[in-house]
Amino acid sequence: MAGTAPPPQGRPIGDSQVEGGAPGVVASTTRTTAVRASLIAGAASVLLVVAIVLGSRLLRDFDSALVPYAVATVFLTFGVVYRYVVWVSAPAARRMFVQGWKAALSWENLKRSPAALPKMIATYLGFQKFLGARSHARWAAHQLIFWGCLLAAAITFPLTWGWFTFTSASAAGPGYEMRLWGLRLFGFDSGSFLGWALYHGLDLAAVMVIGGAGYFLWRRMRDRAATTGQRFGYDFLPLLALITISVTGLLLTFSEMFLHGGGYEFLAILHMASVVLTLVYLPFGKFFHIVQRPAAVGMQLFKYTARRKGSDDQELQACKRCGQPIDTVAAVDNLRATMRDLKLGFDEWAEYCPRCKRVLRGTAYLSNVKRGFK
Amino acid sequence: MLGRTIFIDPGRCIGCQACVSACRECDSHRGKSMIHLDYPDEGHTVASLPTVCMHCEDPVAPCAEVCPAEAILITADGVVQEADPTRCIGCANCVNACPFGVPKIDLEAKLQMKCNLCYDRTSYGLAPMCATVCPTGALFYGTVEELQAERPGVDVSTMFAFGDTVVSTGVAMVVPGERRTPVPGGMLNLIEVNGRPTPGNGARA
Repeated sequence: MAGTAPPPQGRPIGDSQVEGGAPGVVASTTRTTAVRASLIAGAASVLLVVAIVLGSRLLRDFDSALVPYAVATVFLTFGVVYRYVVWVSAPAARRMFVQGWKAALSWENLKRSPAALPKMIATYLGFQKFLGARSHARWAAHQLIFWGCLLAAAITFPLTWGWFTFTSASAAGPGYEMRLWGLRLFGFDSGSFLGWALYHGLDLAAVMVIGGAGYFLWRRMRDRAATTGQRFGYDFLPLLALITISVTGLLLTFSEMFLHGGGYEFLAILHMASVVLTLVYLPFGKFFHIVQRPAAVGMQLFKYTARRKGSDDQELQACKRCGQPIDTVAAVDNLRATMRDLKLGFDEWAEYCPRCKRVLRGTAYLSNVKRGFK
Repeated sequence: MLGRTIFIDPGRCIGCQACVSACRECDSHRGKSMIHLDYPDEGHTVASLPTVCMHCEDPVAPCAEVCPAEAILITADGVVQEADPTRCIGCANCVNACPFGVPKIDLEAKLQMKCNLCYDRTSYGLAPMCATVCPTGALFYGTVEELQAERPGVDVSTMFAFGDTVVSTGVAMVVPGERRTPVPGGMLNLIEVNGRPTPGNGARA
């Protein structure tokens, strides 16, 4: 809608300002948030560095060949925490954040339904059932990417921090021991299936990720729902990054097994660069949904526990006009408070269901603007 | 003045549902209609009202402002897009905050959906599906000059009053030429319409 709206008619529009207060106040609020976010993010990064130093037994187990990866995770921590703090400082997210944690940490909720939270974490974050309701193919592809990335992260992050080490059990035998922070976790035979799976865990993850990301890339080029409004940096870059990491990672294995290490150093640098750039990009683009998604669990738990209070029907807000349930009373109150925070002066309308809002407007148009047929 | 946008004239709407069917064909939400067609005084008048997203400009997109997941993007051309499926957590804040009653939600899929002005079409200069098929011109896509050339004497309004708040929008409604006050967004304490009590609001139907 290029162009400007017609001049104000009747009532001035000044009473519907978007931002509260004077511009100076808004700027200083933004600055305060940025300072707070920087401090918290800085503290989190320092904490990670300390954890790396301690976990690698004062760098004794730290693999210096993996320094770029470890440094990237420190940057990643700063970026993610900074972005997270800025995100939950906005009115809508802040209120939902508080309500979600209140529901999660409530002793009463835990006593009444101890399984609710773990169940929601499993369905929303683990198996992502809601994606299946959107499309089965997308669910399958996303599960491949999700478990692949999780497996890869579980292997590589502790390795680059020097938390995992592998030592031989004896001087002669094929036995190996896996250690965390220097403590023995378990021993295994390097020739066994477990040994094979441990060495090739990342290859398995790469195959899963390539399958999932490949499907999404294909969809981005063919599906017209996906192509509408898609942006290279937001929609394509994450997929290309995942595929680059996976392919260069697999090529490392290929070089080792079939080329006697030919081109290994070049491939290692290529792989390292793609991983580091992806980790640094993570807080800013599509990947930030990984950090945001737990909010779905908080939101759902908040609504679920509000509905369970007292009898079922009492805690649902009924539309003031037609009586149909809108949402839980707590959710509507939370929304109205958010709207007041944002200086949206029509939070009273939230007490009506969407259809009644439209019907009320239609009725007012009929009686006030253009008389219809009687 | 306004650029190319939708102009809604409920006075011309015959409630034929052609827009609802056409909306279903839109590529960005195949099989699901995002337009609402309501009959405000059903059984007493044949009046009907089509509702598309009004693409609020001031305050800019209340739905996006109340979104806790930053899922609703407003493109540079002022079009308020449907929720980004990657981010939407399905909390329904937007559904209940929108004063026009526009967004829909799929609670199973944890996904909000709404009219995006047929972005797959309008971004290439084509008219939205609903305006393309509307047989009476209740939904008109074009500039205000094109509208007035066809309909002398009409004016348009992008100002909607919700209580004391006026919301200005990117999609306009047709009003009689002499009108200078915002279009009412609805009267919450409305007891009677055409001499009959409205259900709710303290009065029995």
